[in-house]
Amino acid sequence: MKIKEEMKGDVLVVSLSGKVIGGPELMDVKTVFQNAVNQNILKVLLDLGKVTWMDSSGLGVIVSGHTTLSRADGSLRILNATRKIHELFIITKLITIFETYNDMQEALNSFGE
Amino acid sequence: MRTIEIRLPSELSVLEPLQLFVESIGKYVGVEEDELSSLSVAVIELVKNGMEHGNGNDPEKIVTISIDTFQSRIRFFIDDEGIWEPDMAPGFDPGEGEELLSCRGRGVLIARNLAKWVELGLTPEGKTRVTLIWPLT
Repeated sequence: MKIKEEMKGDVLVVSLSGKVIGGPELMDVKTVFQNAVNQNILKVLLDLGKVTWMDSSGLGVIVSGHTTLSRADGSLRILNATRKIHELFIITKLITIFETYNDMQEALNSFGE
Repeated sequence: MRTIEIRLPSELSVLEPLQLFVESIGKYVGVEEDELSSLSVAVIELVKNGMEHGNGNDPEKIVTISIDTFQSRIRFFIDDEGIWEPDMAPGFDPGEGEELLSCRGRGVLIARNLAKWVELGLTPEGKTRVTLIWPLT
């Protein structure tokens, strides 16, 4: 799994790619969310478009990020969840928690609404 | 296909090779291409569950996967070294509200929803056995 970070205005876009399958590298994702809060970056967009495989470990990290940002009055939103990942969000009812988008600009604009 | 048995230590490092193997065997026996990743997610979730809840993430403890095919289905037995207690069967409901925000405990729920058949039970020796059955096309 690879992690890429990019600022788009006041939104941190975190892009994951490859397999999200558990193990110590997931801690790196948690750290990204915590570092964002530490730097008072409270709008985070998680791009999952290049994730080829994900299980509950990935969902756990995303929920952790949501909690970290929410506690700081921030927000974590989801971009480009593949059909398989979207299915996991539905099964676990996390679809009721997260705002999900398929268009980058629409997702970025949503933070200003 | 003859029965395939895999014995894995309870270490997360084995999960990625296992994912590739499950998808390979699934493809070989005729699981639909589009369902291969769902199959591997379901199996990995149950293996992780066994490693964590059955074996306490002790690398000395083994998860054993036995794979058989029948006319129109592939069956996985996933055995760990724990003892399943029926009243502690995990992960059948994601909960509501704040419960949804738990960072853990979704594995069996996901496996049960992705797979056509997942059943928790016991091996003949009384250890935990999860059975997953997936139809073939």
